[in-house]
Amino acid sequence: MKAIHKRDIAVDESESRVLLPRTRRRRRRLSSVERTLATIVWRTERAFYAEELARADGLLQHLDPRVKVCGLLLLLLDAALARNLPTIICVFAVALALALLSRVPLRTLAARAWLGAFLFTALIALPALFITPGRAAMRLPLLGWPLTEQGIQSALYLVARVETAVTLSLLLVLCTPWTHVLKALSSLGVPVVFVVILGMTYRYVFLLLQTAREMFESRQSRTVGALDGPTGRRLAAASAGVLLARTFQLSGEVYLAMQSRGFRGEVYTLDDFQMRRRDWLALAAFLLAAVALFWLGRRGFAPPSI
Amino acid sequence: MPEIVFDVRDVVYRYEDVTALDGLTLKVGRGERVALVGANGSGKSTLLRLLDGLYFAERGSVAFCGEQLTEAGFQDDEFARAFRRRVGLVFQNPDVQLFNPTVFDEVAFGPLQMRWPKDEIRRRVAASLELMEVAHLKDRPPHRLSGGEKKRVALASVLVLDPEVLLLDEPTAALDPASRSRVIDLLVDARGGAKTVVTATHDLDVIEDIADRCLVFAEGRIVAEGTPSDILRDEALLRRTSLIHAHRHVHGPGTVHAHPHTHSHRTHEH
Amino acid sequence: MHIPDGYLSPETCAALYAAAAPFWYVALRRVRRMLNTRVVPTLSLFAALSFVIMMFNLPLPGGTTGHAIGVGIAAIILGPWASIITISVALLIQAVFFGDGGVTAFGANSLNMAVVGSLVASGVYRLLSARAPLGSTRRVVAAAVAGYAAINAAALCAGVEFGIQPRFFHDAAGAPLYAPYPLSVAVPAMLIGHLTLAGLAEMFITAGVVAYLQRTDSALLRLNTRATANSVEVARQSIWGAARPLWLALAALLILTPLGLLAAGTAWGEWGPQDFSDAQARARIASASGNQAPPAQAPAGLERLSHLWSAPMPDYAPPFLKSAAFGYLMSALFGAGLVILFFLLLGRLARAARGVG
Repeated sequence: MKAIHKRDIAVDESESRVLLPRTRRRRRRLSSVERTLATIVWRTERAFYAEELARADGLLQHLDPRVKVCGLLLLLLDAALARNLPTIICVFAVALALALLSRVPLRTLAARAWLGAFLFTALIALPALFITPGRAAMRLPLLGWPLTEQGIQSALYLVARVETAVTLSLLLVLCTPWTHVLKALSSLGVPVVFVVILGMTYRYVFLLLQTAREMFESRQSRTVGALDGPTGRRLAAASAGVLLARTFQLSGEVYLAMQSRGFRGEVYTLDDFQMRRRDWLALAAFLLAAVALFWLGRRGFAPPSI
Repeated sequence: MPEIVFDVRDVVYRYEDVTALDGLTLKVGRGERVALVGANGSGKSTLLRLLDGLYFAERGSVAFCGEQLTEAGFQDDEFARAFRRRVGLVFQNPDVQLFNPTVFDEVAFGPLQMRWPKDEIRRRVAASLELMEVAHLKDRPPHRLSGGEKKRVALASVLVLDPEVLLLDEPTAALDPASRSRVIDLLVDARGGAKTVVTATHDLDVIEDIADRCLVFAEGRIVAEGTPSDILRDEALLRRTSLIHAHRHVHGPGTVHAHPHTHSHRTHEH
Repeated sequence: MHIPDGYLSPETCAALYAAAAPFWYVALRRVRRMLNTRVVPTLSLFAALSFVIMMFNLPLPGGTTGHAIGVGIAAIILGPWASIITISVALLIQAVFFGDGGVTAFGANSLNMAVVGSLVASGVYRLLSARAPLGSTRRVVAAAVAGYAAINAAALCAGVEFGIQPRFFHDAAGAPLYAPYPLSVAVPAMLIGHLTLAGLAEMFITAGVVAYLQRTDSALLRLNTRATANSVEVARQSIWGAARPLWLALAALLILTPLGLLAAGTAWGEWGPQDFSDAQARARIASASGNQAPPAQAPAGLERLSHLWSAPMPDYAPPFLKSAAFGYLMSALFGAGLVILFFLLLGRLARAARGVG
């Protein structure tokens, strides 16, 4: 069995799960081990890519992370609170503009956010087209099932909101080093202990991912045939058990290392952020946009009659 | 007579039902460079942790500059903080020691715990990063570092506190040759500004460079003591304590030798 | 069942954040008391582990694969409170840095999976494993059921959260603004998916890890029990133990409440003013009152005072539920939950007043 390469598989980004293998010769269902490995590889590569993009020369990259967190969060709330479709689309347009100005390739956004979220949401919203009570708008050609206006509207709301939300959160992560996001959180009122825990968790996620990957790869290389069913389950459980034991041991060692450098239970961070003029301007712009979109969202627009 | 930095007397330490240290006694004087030599599991790491006040002996005593190291003693904030600054331990596994999100944060961790003023922290961190030649990595997360880089960051994070005593647990383990020699160079030249160095290692190649006095460990006890060259010459001892091996290797076509040796960078005799 | 952004209204999200927050607060305090300064490295590392376990693809019967959350493992090994924080942290990392699950919906996800999941898993495990030896099969079975129950409890919560959206949040024309399916669709849909797939995944991984730890005679199985060496915890443990038959009886009663719907006739005296004008109701009242006909009109006092309080769930039938039996069950759960909560609070206040814990 060969190692999993990105080009060999299609991944549903919204769930980060593997859909099907894209082998050149013939399609073969991946075993659960291969899927797990693929998921791990994907996640890691995504994170690395995000770290690179966060240092690019774009609009959002140059802003203070606190401004970004606040601003993007406000926009997210606007999209969530909107009671009409045009407002949601406006927020999406703003997000798109920010992405373009921050040198985020649209292809990345499409692959990582839009496609997966769309497929997933469309699937969920499909029945709503038919079963939502309301005025019938049209009928399906062959089956004759009626689609209601309200159903269509509600499906549109859902898809629009999901896409916008996903774009905004992805923007934050792609344009800000995650360590800055964490530090921004602490300046915004989240207790320092949570921020420190989040930081340490994120750091050790990669170590454990690497360990898990090695375990699965070594098992994969020693096995002929699929690792499915009870064998696959036992392997997963045993891997989890091994990781559990290692985690426990690691946590003890890390504690010693922390103590060795003076840790007594209090956590401190160095706050490095200073607001410059452009940060204040950006903040003002965000606030203005947020208020405007909020006001717009609360007004009732008559849904376009189909 | 030089001041005694560490005074260890009849120390016993057990993990569950395994005895790691069995009545150990030793003294380390100020300015000494000591190497603790022994195979894995011989108790070297355990001793280092006892010296660093992370473990506390079941029986016996460990004293640092005349003060006993006890669990109760470390409850006192002032004592603990002072001790942690004066003694620094570099762990064997750098992933254990690098628990902060970035290299900069890691090196700043110690000074932050010492409650130094922020400007001074920034200054000292920058200096330490320069010293260990990792300044260009300051915003990297630990999982994006190579083994050698991790080791240097770990060293930087301890040296930033400017400790009087440096404890090193297998500083050259798992490093490629280039990184290894770099670390040794840094330790030999700078000595990190620390005056007393205790190194635990099973890497016999380096002990001559980094130590003046050598203690050989086996099964939780010290079985021999001397200068590195003395110890290296005592083949029987080294074989007994699993520090060397005998194996066959090839010296050109048709010539195969089998003898005990230490894979030294110096050529070995036949 | 990670709920993405856009499915729950901001009002719902805010309410669920507010519901989760006290649990986070209490959990952190308890864990700090147990672990002291070890809190940071322990919680961080176990949260990282939970995150990694969430990525495992588990083969399920029928040829599909599923993902577990690991809440069963966390609750059993670390205890419910550490589990709440661990799973919440893992979910947050997933949501923010890896885009799995929404940011506004984080409170909801945390409440469902971390809080409800941990508490249910821990409770079920302790109930079923009782004082069984650490290496026994009973513990593995208890772990399996605990994991299964936890996921389905979380799914039920998520289903309810989805289901109430269209009722409360729709635009002027009546189109649902968020999740478009009412409770009668959302709850069964969530439950079916999880009773069959995700629940099985959790069940397998939870039982599998416990079995593995038993095989390797790991000290990790003793972690949680050792953590209860604190005297307050021991006291609580023994109360729990002594009252276990009562808890089981309560659970049985809860499940059997829909039987009440079979009872014919009317409860004497429990009438509303509208019953006096309804012919069928009048006949029932008469037959229950020794064949004496009720007054033609509802008594004035009854009429006046009946408007004093309108219950959220009149007649044990929440208005948005179609099935009477299910409505009965929900009311029973809700009511029992309120009473239990009340007495827990009372107990807490009493202990605080006595100065213990």
